[in-house]
Amino acid sequence: MPTADLERTPPWSWREASTRLAFLTGLWLLLTGADAGSWVIGGPAVLLATLLSLRLRSPVAWRWRPAGLLRFVPYFLWHSLRGGLDVTRRALHPRLPIAPALVYHTLRLPPGPSRVFLANTINLLPGTLSAELQDSRLTVHMLDAALVNVMELQRLETRVADLFAVSLE
Amino acid sequence: MADFQFGYALFLLLTVAIGLVRVGRGPTAGDRMLAAQLFGTSGVAILLLLGRAMQQPALWDVALVFAVLAAVTAVAFVQRVAGRAESKPEGGADGS
Amino acid sequence: MAPDDWLTLVCLLAAAPFFLAGSIGLLRFPDLYCRLHALTKADNIGLGLVVLALLWQVTSWSEALKLLLIWLLVLLAGATVAHLIARNALRQGQKPWERP
Repeated sequence: MPTADLERTPPWSWREASTRLAFLTGLWLLLTGADAGSWVIGGPAVLLATLLSLRLRSPVAWRWRPAGLLRFVPYFLWHSLRGGLDVTRRALHPRLPIAPALVYHTLRLPPGPSRVFLANTINLLPGTLSAELQDSRLTVHMLDAALVNVMELQRLETRVADLFAVSLE
Repeated sequence: MADFQFGYALFLLLTVAIGLVRVGRGPTAGDRMLAAQLFGTSGVAILLLLGRAMQQPALWDVALVFAVLAAVTAVAFVQRVAGRAESKPEGGADGS
Repeated sequence: MAPDDWLTLVCLLAAAPFFLAGSIGLLRFPDLYCRLHALTKADNIGLGLVVLALLWQVTSWSEALKLLLIWLLVLLAGATVAHLIARNALRQGQKPWERP
């Protein structure tokens, strides 16, 4: 994957800045319970956080889809519940039924935040733990080699691609 | 209800204590770092329950700080260990 | 007890095995990688159920959102921490345990 093809982040716009300002203001409201006196600190803090977040934007352009998020959340909750149940059963089982192995998965997602998001997400899914992410190769520690399920990883990739509005290779 | 929540917080404290046995035994530094993860989840759960049972909303803010600190601690740990590996080339980092 | 209190009780009881398994897994699993599986996955579901239990007790929207925000932060932090610790161990050359 030639990184030169990547779309660079365009310079920030007033629209983007005001979205971030609104989001951080909402966060402050939530954390302080809308205490009017807290704005003495909150006002400057929110302003500085907005400026800092604009400065530290990802160098690679990316976006996400609200509809993709709505589809992703139930999928993620269900599979992380399965992940919790699976590891709970194995940890409490008298014979400790595990057969760990490292597997290597070649990602079809383009470089950028979607890959990092996938690597983080699989840590909460049944039997998978991301141990290394290098270029398009993801090293996964499997709790049970018998569970190695390429289909499941590919399904997750499709979901993440939907969330980040990117296409798979 | 509050009594039950106190009892439950005590149960969680017990599971943290069990987990701390592993932190004490190690053997690797990574095993010891699991303490951060332990307090990041069970510790946060305890604070949330106590905040509710004792009617102390500030404890929820403490829980929030715990959650953030768990992440910062792990980053600091990895930075420190990675820095060490660099100053000692034969220390096993495989050129990545 | 009010119906909400019963729901809280049920959620808390459901969370208990997850927390217990997270800690037992820490002791029983043979290496760091397996222990990370136990702690990350089981405890996060446990915390999710505790948050759900407390959601039945909240008196305002901002309290509910704050609870969910805390859980989201822990999920994010937990997944990142697990990856960093595993990556660090792998780079140091720790071989994962295999069933003999």
